[in-house]
Amino acid sequence: MHVTSPVREPLIQGGKTYADVTEDICRHVEAAPTKEWKIAFGISLVVLAYGSVCLAWTWWEGLGVWGLNKTVGWAWDITNFVWWVGIGHAGTLISAILLLFRQKWRTSINRAAEAMTIFAVICAASFILMHMGRPWMAYWALPLPNAFGSLWVNFNSPLVWDVFAISTYFSVSLVFWYIGLIPDLATIRDRATSKISRLMYGTFAMGWDGSAKTWARYEYISLILAGLSTPLVLSVHTIVSMDFATSVIPGWHTTIFPPYFVAGAIFSGFAMVQNLMLITRVVYKLEDYITLEHIETMNKVITLTGSVVGVAYITEFFIAWYGGVEYEYYAFFNRMTGPYWWAYWAMMTCNVISPQLFWSRKLRRSITFTFFISVVVNIGMWFERFVIIVTSLHRDYIPSSWAMFSPTRYDIGDYIFSFGLFFTLFLLFSKYLPVVNMAEVKAVIRSTSAQLPAKIAGVAKVRQRGAAEPAYNKDQE
Amino acid sequence: MASGHSIPSIEERFEFTSGAKRNLLIGGGVGLALVLLGAYLAANGGGGHEVAAHGAEHAAQAAGHAAAEHGGASHGAAAAEGHHAKSWVARIWANLWVNGVYFTGISVVGMFFISYNYLAQAGWSAVFKRVPEALPAFLPFSGAVLLITFFFGGHDLFHWTHEGLYEVGGAEYDAIIAGKKGYLNTPFFVGRLVLYFALWYGMWRVIRNLSLQEDEIGGTEFYEKSIRLGTAFLVVFGVTSSTSAWDFVMSIDTHWFSTMFGWYTLASWHVAGLAVITLTIVMLRERGYLRAVNSSHLRDLGKFIFAFSIFWTYVWFAQFLLIYYANLPEETIYFIERFRGHGGFYKAPFFITLFLNFFFPFLVLMTRDSKFTHSILKVACWSVIIGHYFDFYTNIMPGSVGASGELGPLEWGFFLVFLCAFAYSIASQLEKANLIPRNHPMLEESLHHDIA
Amino acid sequence: MAELSGKYLVGVYDDDDTVLHAVPKLRKAGVKIKEVYSPFPIHGLDEALGHPRTRIGIAAFMFGVTGCCVALTLMIWTMGIDWPMIIGGKDPISIPNYIPITFELTVLFTAFGMVITFFISNGLGPGTHFHPRFDVRSTDNKFVMAIDLGRNSMSEEEISRALRDSGAEEVNIKQF
Repeated sequence: MHVTSPVREPLIQGGKTYADVTEDICRHVEAAPTKEWKIAFGISLVVLAYGSVCLAWTWWEGLGVWGLNKTVGWAWDITNFVWWVGIGHAGTLISAILLLFRQKWRTSINRAAEAMTIFAVICAASFILMHMGRPWMAYWALPLPNAFGSLWVNFNSPLVWDVFAISTYFSVSLVFWYIGLIPDLATIRDRATSKISRLMYGTFAMGWDGSAKTWARYEYISLILAGLSTPLVLSVHTIVSMDFATSVIPGWHTTIFPPYFVAGAIFSGFAMVQNLMLITRVVYKLEDYITLEHIETMNKVITLTGSVVGVAYITEFFIAWYGGVEYEYYAFFNRMTGPYWWAYWAMMTCNVISPQLFWSRKLRRSITFTFFISVVVNIGMWFERFVIIVTSLHRDYIPSSWAMFSPTRYDIGDYIFSFGLFFTLFLLFSKYLPVVNMAEVKAVIRSTSAQLPAKIAGVAKVRQRGAAEPAYNKDQE
Repeated sequence: MASGHSIPSIEERFEFTSGAKRNLLIGGGVGLALVLLGAYLAANGGGGHEVAAHGAEHAAQAAGHAAAEHGGASHGAAAAEGHHAKSWVARIWANLWVNGVYFTGISVVGMFFISYNYLAQAGWSAVFKRVPEALPAFLPFSGAVLLITFFFGGHDLFHWTHEGLYEVGGAEYDAIIAGKKGYLNTPFFVGRLVLYFALWYGMWRVIRNLSLQEDEIGGTEFYEKSIRLGTAFLVVFGVTSSTSAWDFVMSIDTHWFSTMFGWYTLASWHVAGLAVITLTIVMLRERGYLRAVNSSHLRDLGKFIFAFSIFWTYVWFAQFLLIYYANLPEETIYFIERFRGHGGFYKAPFFITLFLNFFFPFLVLMTRDSKFTHSILKVACWSVIIGHYFDFYTNIMPGSVGASGELGPLEWGFFLVFLCAFAYSIASQLEKANLIPRNHPMLEESLHHDIA
Repeated sequence: MAELSGKYLVGVYDDDDTVLHAVPKLRKAGVKIKEVYSPFPIHGLDEALGHPRTRIGIAAFMFGVTGCCVALTLMIWTMGIDWPMIIGGKDPISIPNYIPITFELTVLFTAFGMVITFFISNGLGPGTHFHPRFDVRSTDNKFVMAIDLGRNSMSEEEISRALRDSGAEEVNIKQF
C-alpha cells in the first residue's frame, strides 16, 4: 500500500476524478481553436515569416551579412545555438531525472516541458544550419567518405561530437516524448467523434489498448529511457561546452565548463518552462493541475541551479587569479571591466543575484514575480553565452587585431526567426496534443490530490459516444 | 505487491557489543603494527623502492618535472635535491593526510546526504536516516589529524609552505607561487581548515540534536527546522566543498590548477560516502537490525551508487579530456607526472582508480536484482570505498612524496587504522539513539517504500 | 497480436485499488483472467496477473553493446586505418577523443533498439486497430477485466458472480 506523508503539500486541487482529468485536458484538443490561440498563432507566423526572409537573405547573400569580423568570428550565431540547446535541457531533465527521483510534481508539466525541449533543439539545430552558410552541404558533417578520396570527417573534432550529440539527443527525446504521448493519444482516439481525428490520433496511438502487460513493459522502458536520457542530457551540454573548452582560447579553456554548462542549461530551461506553463495554465484553465506547489518547486530548482552557476562563475574567476596565467587572468578581468562590462554585469545580475530573491517564500509563490524572474533568467543566460564567446574573442593576442562586435539586422533577424519557429511549433502542439500527461496525472491523483471525490473514477462525459456505444455494453444482471 | 510484506517494529536499538569493539580494536592494532613495520622498513632504506631502484631515473624525472613546472633549471636542481631529502617521515605525513582527507570527506557526506534529503523532501530515506547521521561524528578526529599533520608535516607535503619561494630574487623564488600568496599562506590556510571543521561539525551537531529531540517529542517542528538547517548547510557546503578541495588536495601540486577540481573531489567524496552508508546498512541488516529497510530501499541505494559512480567518472573524464586535448604544459604536467613520472609508479593506481570506481560497480550493479543482493552490494561498496582511496592516493602522493611513494604495509596499515576508527565512531553513534527515527514525519512513507 | 475470437466476459471496475485486489481473489477462485485494461499503469498488477517479468532489458543491453562496438569500429577504422592522420599532435587512434561519440551511439542504439522491441513485442504499430476491444472507457476512467469464457471451465454465471463479488460495477458480454 502506498503511503503519503501528511507533511507533503497536495499537488492537485479541485477534487478531480479520473474522468475530470480526461475531460479537462482533452477539451482543448477537441474544441475548435479559440480566438486567443488564433491571434497568438497569427503573430507567431508573422514573426516566423519575417525571420524566414532574413534567413533566406543570409543564405542567398552569404554569412557576410552578419556582423562577424576577423577577430570575432563567432558571435550571435553560436550564442543563440547554445542558448536554445540550453533551454532544450529542462524537458528531458523533468521527464528523465525527476522520473528517476520519483518526483510526482513532474507529471503535470513534463509533457509541455518535453515538447519545449524538442522545439528548442530544433531552433538550435537551425543555427547550425545557418552557420554552414551553405546548408545544402549539411551532409558533410556526416561520416561519409569525401569525394576526393577516402578522407573522413574528423572524429577528433568537438564539432563532429556535437553533430552526434545533438542528433542523438533530439531523436531520443522525440522518442521519449512520443512514448509518453501514446496512451494519451489513445484516450483522444477513443473519444474522437469525427472520422479524421479518429484516423489521425488512432494512427499515432499505434493500437494502444492499455493492457496490464503493455503497461508493465511501458513503465519498464520508460525507466530505462530515463536512465539513458539522464547521462544523455549531461553529455549534450558537456559536448557543447567542449566546442569551446577544448580550444586554447583564454576564457574558453577551463575544465569546469562541462558540468557548469549543464547547470546553466537546466537553469535557463526551467525558466523557459515557467514562462510557458504560467501562460498555458491560465489560457487552458489548468490551475488545478499546475498549482502554486509546482511553481514554487520549479522556483526552488531555479534558485539551486542559479546558485550552482554562481559558484562556477566564482570558481572560474578565482582560478583565473590562482593559476597565475596572465592571459587567463586578463580574459576574466577584461570581462568584468573591459568594453563589454555591461554584458558581464547583466549576466551576473540576472543569473546569480535575481534567483536569490526566491529565498523569500512570498516571492517564489508570486506568479507575476515568477514570470518576471524567469524572463530575467533567460536574458541572463543569453548574456552568459555572449560573454563567454564574444568577450573571450574580442581581445586577440595582438592588440592591433582587437575588435568589437556589433550585430547587423540579419544577426537579429535570424534570432527572431528562431522565436517565430519556436512559438509556432509550441502553439501547434498546445492545440493538437494534450498539454498535460493524463495517464501520469491519473496515476498520482490518489496520493497528491488535495481532496478526493467519493468515487475516484468519476463519470465519463459521454460526448457522442452514445452512437458508438456498442450494444454489448449492457449490464448483464 | 506492497501489502504483502509486513512492517517490522520501529523500536530497535543497536548494541555495540564488546565482541565488535574487540574486533575493531584488533583491526586497528593490526593496522598499527603494519604502520610500524612499514615505517621500520622505510627508515632502514628497505622501502622507497624508487629511490633504490630508480634513483638516477627519478632524479632526472624530478628535474624534468621541476623544469617544466618552474621554467628554471636552477630551481629544478634545487627541487630534485629537495625530493631526495624527503624521508620516510614524509611518507607518514602523506599517509595521514590522504586518509585524513578521505575520511573527512566521507564523514561530511553524511551531513550532505541528510541535508539534500531534507531539501528535496525525500521520503524513502527516513528509515535509515540514522546511518548517514552517524558519519559526521568522526569530523573532530579527522580534523585533528589534518591539523596536526599540517603543523608537523606541512613542510613535507605542501611545497608552498617553503619561505624561500616568496623571496624576490632569492634562489628559490617562484613568481607563480608568490602570486598565490594571498590565498596560500599558513595563517589563512589554518584559519580555513578550522573554519570548515567548525562549520561542518557545528551544523551537524544542531541537526543531530533536532533529530534526537524529534525522537522524544515528535511533531513537525523539528522537521521544518531541519529543512532550514539542511538548506543552510548546502549553501555552506556548496562553497566549502570546493575551497576545501583546493586547500586539501589541489594546493599540493602548487602550480597546477583546474576549475573542475572542487566538484571532482566532491563527486569522489560523495560516492564514497554513499558506499559507506549502504555498506553500514547492509552490515546492520546482516546482524539482524534495520529489518524495516526493504529491498526497495536497497535497490535505491544501489542505484545511487551506480549513478554517482558514473557521475564521478563523468567529472573525471571531462577534466582529463579537456586537459589532454588542449595539451597546455602547465596543465598536462599533472597527468604526465602520474603516467610517466617517478618511474611510472603511479600509473597502476591511476588505472586501478578507474577500474574500481567505474567499470566494476557499473557492471556489477547494472542488473535489477544485484542492487538488493547483500553480497553483491557489499562487493560493490568495497570496490568504491577502496577505489576512492586510490583516487585520493593518486591525487595526493605524487605531489607530496613523489618518487618515494609506495603501496606497502605503511599505506595499508594507515588505511586500516582509519577504517577501524571510523567504524568505531559510526557504531558508537548508532548506539546513542533508536536506530529508526521513530517520529520522523516521512517515516510511514519510508516504511511503505515500494518501487515494485 | 492475434485477432480475438470467442465469447468474453468483461468486468468493469471503478477503482484501481479494487481491481488490484480483485485479481488475486478471482485467480484464487479459479477464474482465468485474460487481461486487465486500465487508463494508467497500476503497480503490481502484472505481477498479480502472473505475467512474467519483461526481458526487454536484456535486448536493450545487447543493442547498447552493438552501438558501442559500431562507434568504436567506425572511428578506429576511419581515423586510424583507412586514412590515418595526426590531428592536434595526438595519435591517429586516440581513444579519449572517441569516448563522446561512443557514448552517444551507445545511447542511440539502446534507445531505438529497445523502443522498436517494445513495439514489436506488444503488437503496437500504426493502424494495428483503432479501438480497445473490450470497453472504450478503459482509456478514460474505468478498469476493465476480460475473461475468455472458452478458456474457463467455470460457467458464465459463476464467473459473473465472482466478478460482482470482487467489486465490478458492470459485467458485460462481448462476442467476437
